[in-house]
Amino acid sequence: MLPLTLLNAAQGKPMLVELKNGVTFNGHLVECDNFMNVTLREVYQTSADGERFWKMKEVFIKGNIIKYFRIADAILDSAFEQQEKNRAAAKTRGQSARGGRGGPAQRGARGGPPARGTPSGRGRGTGPPGRARGRGQ
Amino acid sequence: MLFFSFFKTLTDQVITVELKNDLCITGTLKSVDQFLNIRLDGITVEDPERHPHMMAVKNCFIRGSVVRYVRMGARSVDTTLLEDATRRGEFMVRVLKGLRVD
Amino acid sequence: MSAVEAYVDHTVQVILYDGRVIVGKLRGYDPRTNLILSDCVEREYSLEGVEMVPLGLYMIKGDNVAIIGEMDEDKDGSIDYTEIKAEPLGEIRL
Repeated sequence: MLPLTLLNAAQGKPMLVELKNGVTFNGHLVECDNFMNVTLREVYQTSADGERFWKMKEVFIKGNIIKYFRIADAILDSAFEQQEKNRAAAKTRGQSARGGRGGPAQRGARGGPPARGTPSGRGRGTGPPGRARGRGQ
Repeated sequence: MLFFSFFKTLTDQVITVELKNDLCITGTLKSVDQFLNIRLDGITVEDPERHPHMMAVKNCFIRGSVVRYVRMGARSVDTTLLEDATRRGEFMVRVLKGLRVD
Repeated sequence: MSAVEAYVDHTVQVILYDGRVIVGKLRGYDPRTNLILSDCVEREYSLEGVEMVPLGLYMIKGDNVAIIGEMDEDKDGSIDYTEIKAEPLGEIRL
């Protein structure tokens, strides 16, 4: 699975984002793009030394300063299921449009972004806000 | 492109890669790509007392951006061929820039 | 990048720019070395032995990845990590 697929599937779900400088953000993913720029809502920011916290309504984080995303385990499975469903749907759509397989690759067969249904069962939290790490100080 | 081609000629040779975190890894070069990312098989780490971190790792992918040096046996490099390739590269640059070639 | 394809669904050890060592199952990657790792455990090396910290599902951005190593799980299982005493790896400099 592509990392971007997983990130897209995590929309609306809680996650932890650590920046390259060690600062972490805990919040719900509102939006993301192909650069992995993200917008989080209901955010707890933790300083790199883990000593200070801030709460804020919403933050936008540029993708290139992110070290990693920590995501609830269940989202990998749901992203995988969604991906399989989309593939199956694209396949049947392609077949009905062309009347069989074997034609040249169809550009339209990819389909739009995965339909985001209501999250089934609330995702579990990503744990306590940020383990204090702060290396390199 | 020259270095990509050069590293490709070293495939299946044993080389030592020194990383920018001072880790030195020796192994058989299995592949290299356009970013000069390196795949090494059958790896050993220099000074395993200080760096036991790779003990249970048998082969690895090293991101090109973390490589400081690559060490290889002098005999695994055909220097005259490399010099020729370098000149050809220079020649192509001059042609593309519309400069005099002689 | 296709060299990483062979590691998909295998247990790998990823070393990050900041020197962290993370072991997990590789679930996906892309040409920028962004990685999806499930069931991650961080291995914190110190002079008191290695501490294993479970972390869960991670998506690591490629700019921070230094090495991806395929684990020899038999060998890994035979090592008593409480007896391995070493300084943590340094960060990538320069």
